[in-house]
Amino acid sequence: MPSGNSHPLDQYLRTARLPHIWCPGCGIGIALGGVIRAIDKRIKEGVLKKENVVFVTGIGCSARTSFYVNFDAAHTLHGRAIAFATGAKLAKPELEVIVIGGDGDIAGIGGNHLLHAAKRNMDLIVLMITNFVYAMTGGQVAPTTPLGLYTTTTPHGNPEPPLNVVKVVSSLNANYVARASVTHPLLVEQYMYKALGMRGFRFIEILSTCPEVFGRHIGVRDPLTLYNSLRSKVIIKQSPSIDESDLDWEKGLVIGEYLIRDNPSFLDRIKGGSK
Amino acid sequence: MVIELPAHVLTDTRLVSASSTRFRVNIITSRCKECGICIGICPTKVLVKGSKHNEYGFRYPTPANIEKCIGCKLCEYNCPEFAIFVEVLGK
Ligand SMILES: Cc1ncc(C[n+]2csc(CCOP(=O)(O)OP(=O)(O)O)c2C)c(N)n1
Ligand code: SF4
Ligand code: SF4
Ligand code: SF4
Repeated sequence: MPSGNSHPLDQYLRTARLPHIWCPGCGIGIALGGVIRAIDKRIKEGVLKKENVVFVTGIGCSARTSFYVNFDAAHTLHGRAIAFATGAKLAKPELEVIVIGGDGDIAGIGGNHLLHAAKRNMDLIVLMITNFVYAMTGGQVAPTTPLGLYTTTTPHGNPEPPLNVVKVVSSLNANYVARASVTHPLLVEQYMYKALGMRGFRFIEILSTCPEVFGRHIGVRDPLTLYNSLRSKVIIKQSPSIDESDLDWEKGLVIGEYLIRDNPSFLDRIKGGSK
Repeated sequence: MVIELPAHVLTDTRLVSASSTRFRVNIITSRCKECGICIGICPTKVLVKGSKHNEYGFRYPTPANIEKCIGCKLCEYNCPEFAIFVEVLGK
C-alpha cells in the first residue's frame, strides 16, 4: 500500500510545478489524469517503458499539459505539435509519441497537419481536448463551438455549425477514432489504454469544461454546474456510427469508440512489412 | 515585509486524511482550488465544504462522513488538481 502521503499519479507528474495554472474546475486536469492512469497501466503491464513516453504539445491551455508530466516533453509552436511529433517518431520509432492540444491547436491552425498525419496513418496518439472555445486567448469562437452558442467573438450566437473532427479523421486512414468526455474519466482512461496497445494514427477527442471563459459566456460560470451540464448532454454508445458524431449542444454529444482497425501504419509501410 | 493575514484565514498545507475500516480519503490541501467537483460527484456525500483555507486562499473539502465511503474513487478521478486520493485499507 502507498504510505498515505502521496497521490498515485505523483510519480508521473512534476509535482514541484503544482498547483498547475488551470483555473478552478477546469476539465483539462481530469483529462490528463485519465490519460496518465492508462499510461501507468501499460507501464505496469510491461508493454510501455516510461522513458519512451514523449508528450508533444503546441500552444493553449490544453497544450500546457507538457509542463506537468514527468516524461520527456516538447512544448512547440501553436498548431505544429503533430509535425514535431512526426519527426520525433520517425527519428526514434521506439518512442510512444503523444500529442495533446486544444481543438484550436489541433483542428484550427494545426488542421492540415492533422489531416496528413491521419492520411498517412502516422504512428502517433493525438488527444484533442475540446472545450468549445479558444480558451487561453479569452474564449473566442473555435472550430468546435456548437451552433448558436455565445462566445467572446459571437455575441449574437455562433452562426456556424461546428467542425466534426471525429468524422473528418474517420474519413481518412486512422486506425482508431474515439470521443471521450471529462465527465466520464474512466472512459478517457479506457480509450487511451486501448490506443496505447495499437499501431498507426490514433485519435481521441476529449470533451472538456472551461468554466472560466466558455462557462462565463454561456451563463454557467460555476465549475460543478458546468460539469453537470456537460454530463447531462453526453450520450455513451457502445459502437456509435459516424453519422451520430455531430456535435449538437441541444440533442446531445455522442461519445464512444467510432472506429477501430489495424491497417498498416506509416512505419510498417516504410519498413516494407505491410500486412 | 510581513503581511498580516486576516484572522479568519487559517493557512493549512497538511495532508488531511480520514479513514473508515475499509478506506482512507486523503486531501493534499495545498493543491485544492475549491472547485467543488469532488463534493458534488461523491455518491454518498462523504466530502463536505471545508472552512479552512490553504496558502492560496482556497477552502479545501473535508471527508466529514468517511464512514459512508464506498471506495469508488470518483473523487480521485474527477479532481482536476490531483488533490485527492483514496486508499483501500482492508478487505
Ligand atoms: C501562431 C500563433 N497564432 C496565434 C497564437 C495565439 N493563441 C494562443 S493559444 C490559441 C488558441 C487556444 O485555443 P485551443 O487551441 O483550442 O486551446 P485551449 O486554450 O482552448 O485549450 C491562440 C490562437 C499563437 N500563440 N501562435
Ligand atoms: S481558461 Fe478555460 S481551459 Fe483555460 S485553464 Fe481556465 S478553465 Fe481551463
Ligand atoms: S471514494 Fe467515492 S464514496 Fe469515497 S469519498 Fe470518494 S467519491 Fe465519495
Ligand atoms: S475536486 Fe479537487 S480541487 Fe476541486 S474542491 Fe475537490 S479537492 Fe479541491
